[in-house]
Amino acid sequence: MNWFQRLSKTGRMEKELDAELRFHFETQVADKVQAGFTEAEARRATRLEFGGIEQVKEDCRESRGTLWLASIAQDLRFGARILARSPGFSATAIVVLAMGIGVCTLAFSLYNIAALQPLPVRDPATLVRIQRRSPANINPGVPYASIAYYRDNAKSFSAVMATMGGTPLVLNQDEKRVSATFVSSNYFSELGATAATGRLFTAPRDNAASAPVCVLSFRLWQRKFDGDPSIVGKSIRLGGKPATVIGVAAETFASLGADDPDLWLPLLQHTYFVEGSKPLADPKFEGLIGMWGRLAPGVSRASAEQEMLALTNQLRKIYPTVIWDHEYIVITPGAHFLSFEGAPPVLPLVGLLVFLILAIACANLGGLLLARGAGREREIQLRFDLGARKMRVFRQLLTENLLLGFLGSIAALPLSYGVLRLVLVYSNAPSWMSALPDWRVCLFVTAMGFVAAVLFGLLPTVQTIYRKKDRSLWHQFVVCVQVGASCVLLILAGLLVRATLHTLYTDPGFGYEQVLAIDPGMAGHGFTSAQAQDYLERLQNRLRAVPGVTFVSIAWSPPLVNKTVSFTTIDVAGHRIMIYPNWVSPEFFQTMQIPLLRGRTFHEGEKNAVILSQSLARKRWPGEDPIGKQWEKSNDVVIGVVGNTRAMELNNTDATEMYYPPVAKDSSSMTVLVRAAGDPNTLTPAIKAIAGSIDTSLYPTITPLTAGFRKSVSRVEQIATIVSLLGSIAIFLAVVGLLGLVSYAVARRTKEIAIRRAFGANHTEIFSSVLRRFAWPVLIGLIAGVATTVALAQILRRMLYGISGLDPISYISAIAILLAILAAAALLPVRRAFRFDIARILHIE
Amino acid sequence: METPPKFDLPQGTLDLLILRVVALGPIHGYAIAQRIQMISKEALQIQQGSLYPALHRLENKNFLVAEWGPTETGREAKFYRLTAKGLTQLKIETESWERLTDVVATILKHPLGEPS
Repeated sequence: MNWFQRLSKTGRMEKELDAELRFHFETQVADKVQAGFTEAEARRATRLEFGGIEQVKEDCRESRGTLWLASIAQDLRFGARILARSPGFSATAIVVLAMGIGVCTLAFSLYNIAALQPLPVRDPATLVRIQRRSPANINPGVPYASIAYYRDNAKSFSAVMATMGGTPLVLNQDEKRVSATFVSSNYFSELGATAATGRLFTAPRDNAASAPVCVLSFRLWQRKFDGDPSIVGKSIRLGGKPATVIGVAAETFASLGADDPDLWLPLLQHTYFVEGSKPLADPKFEGLIGMWGRLAPGVSRASAEQEMLALTNQLRKIYPTVIWDHEYIVITPGAHFLSFEGAPPVLPLVGLLVFLILAIACANLGGLLLARGAGREREIQLRFDLGARKMRVFRQLLTENLLLGFLGSIAALPLSYGVLRLVLVYSNAPSWMSALPDWRVCLFVTAMGFVAAVLFGLLPTVQTIYRKKDRSLWHQFVVCVQVGASCVLLILAGLLVRATLHTLYTDPGFGYEQVLAIDPGMAGHGFTSAQAQDYLERLQNRLRAVPGVTFVSIAWSPPLVNKTVSFTTIDVAGHRIMIYPNWVSPEFFQTMQIPLLRGRTFHEGEKNAVILSQSLARKRWPGEDPIGKQWEKSNDVVIGVVGNTRAMELNNTDATEMYYPPVAKDSSSMTVLVRAAGDPNTLTPAIKAIAGSIDTSLYPTITPLTAGFRKSVSRVEQIATIVSLLGSIAIFLAVVGLLGLVSYAVARRTKEIAIRRAFGANHTEIFSSVLRRFAWPVLIGLIAGVATTVALAQILRRMLYGISGLDPISYISAIAILLAILAAAALLPVRRAFRFDIARILHIE
Repeated sequence: METPPKFDLPQGTLDLLILRVVALGPIHGYAIAQRIQMISKEALQIQQGSLYPALHRLENKNFLVAEWGPTETGREAKFYRLTAKGLTQLKIETESWERLTDVVATILKHPLGEPS
């Protein structure tokens, strides 16, 4: 009989044990009667000899070895009854825990979906991402020529796939563009993907020479074609080029690399869809081609990297200019939505914030348990009087805590599930992502409940067991943790809210509202510099003639909608200055309404001239006139100074700008900027018509700068919202906790307060006598909180959009709000003490 | 009635005695206590509080198995029987007990004040 059988037969075992001992007892009595005792005497004597029959039973149970299990079951039953008896306490504890654990679980679930769960693809373990690295460069992409070489020569991989994103394409005549990803023809089959209808790409069929085809995403199929199955075989126009729809990917298909495009095109047909492009033939093609592989059976990532290093060195002989010095290949697991390898420190930051919430919730639980322990002193005393051992009572109380933790975890699951679903829907997550908790989330949530119950239930329980009257140290610790953690969250929320407001209401230094950016996308179409220059010239001239257009200019990096950012640094007197360079035509400053403060702007076709922003001029030559000075070690002379802008990064006020005249070789990467006299959107049709008449192969992207502005602000807004939400949860929990603690303190001192009142103490004296002992912990909590936030703010700096991480307004207002709320929470129970009838209290005691 | 001198059994000795008594044939708890008392000429009185936990412990270790059956008076009682494993255990424990008592006796018989 194993322990499980024994446990499951507890009832029968108990009966047998009873029968066995009763038999012994009766036989002994019978023997004594035979020896001449009367029946009553025999029974009495036997009972004395026997000692406690229940004690014997208990020892038998213990020696049977299933006692701990049986008694845990008993503890659980008892614990459940105790919890049910005080539903108010239980509900509070469970809600408090559920919120703390829920927030943690939500954060973990998101991390789990993004980084832990493998994508729903065939054999995710062997799928890898292949990237180039060198000591000086990080590039997630690999030139196609290299991919082809690796594919043909590497023995570590059973298959190699390539993916390439691109600029969104015009679908038929729609206003809204669709995102497309070019993929190698083995992409779908290697991922084990199925089609919702039609077929997917297959390697031999869909190649450069075959008819142009595309595969739709399930989402686009539903949105654009109402899920019509007859779409298969029909022709659509993508960027003006006809292509046949051959099928629709399944709804749950997971694209690689956090990519969720509207449709897929064969990479081999790239040149057809993007006229003039040559990503496959040109080893120097700068577009981003992602490389993926399937490890051959038995090959580890490390050994594959070894082989790739050798191949890279071979490759250097073929393309000496393409391969970097000391280039090597890194191979990382590929079947995850995101890889947090080398991620910014946001992850630990989020982890910390979330942990703070859990800490507050747990501290709360600790406080609640402590207050309750005080209320149960008589019950526990009674148990000790009845002979219960310390360990036994301790275990009972701990079981109750674990039960609470477990119930908190159970309540946290639907909470985090619900919020996660909202988050996924709201963020347009790919449809294979499910909010349903998997085993990792379940394990996490259980562990959190356990940790919460054990860590924060332990100390109050020990205090209850040892019947310590003085619980103030633990109280003070709880208050300290709560105040400190709430403080961090509130200040951060304040900083982020201020940053959002700052971004929204501070002049960025240029007028963006009436400007349109026109990106012809010439680079992708293989335009030469001369062709591009000619195109830009014609486009600008035609645009200037459009009524309602006031200024037209070109810029390498259009503010707010720039796709690439370049920066450089110089050192002046030991200080590093960060500079965003831009290459612009003379009218740029009028187009963007950037004021000319000194000197002049460029002349048409001028060379060797630079214009500095005021901040750069001041930092480079403090107190001097920069006009006419030579810029660093170049032939460029400073000809003018313009106003500061926050054009490249709204969130970086340290940055400075400098402007060069356009360079011919970059012409194909230039963007045209148009300032309108009125609403810029009314110009869009005219601009499209003009662009179409100049070159039919291009489909310029026209974006109002306001859209770029909104986009960069919305990111800060989102973060501010999330942190504010966390802050509110923290405050709520802290208030509940403090209310409980002060109520408890008041309840324990009701008599003292009554006596003081009887002797004529005024309210202020009583307030201060009750609350005095909370003053120090609150102060220490505040100091710890502020110190933590100052450290955290350094990480956040770039998110803070020009607000200092030490912004006094955020700090002071957060502390003020926190103190006000805490004071209110503390005064409430004390005020109640004033309404007590003094005479009655003194009588009762 | 004069009570015979009682002494505490060394740890583990009770288990050995029980195994020895049960080795004679299936027997219930009360009879085990009686028989030990009888064989020891009333020198050992086994308390129920030690007997039953010991029996359950031995049963748990699979040295004993128990079955319910009628006694000579016709009452249902729990009879313990030695298993093969229990028999081996009995041999091992008897041997080690004898060695122990030999050693203890040797030391105790050694003349005082004459270091060897």
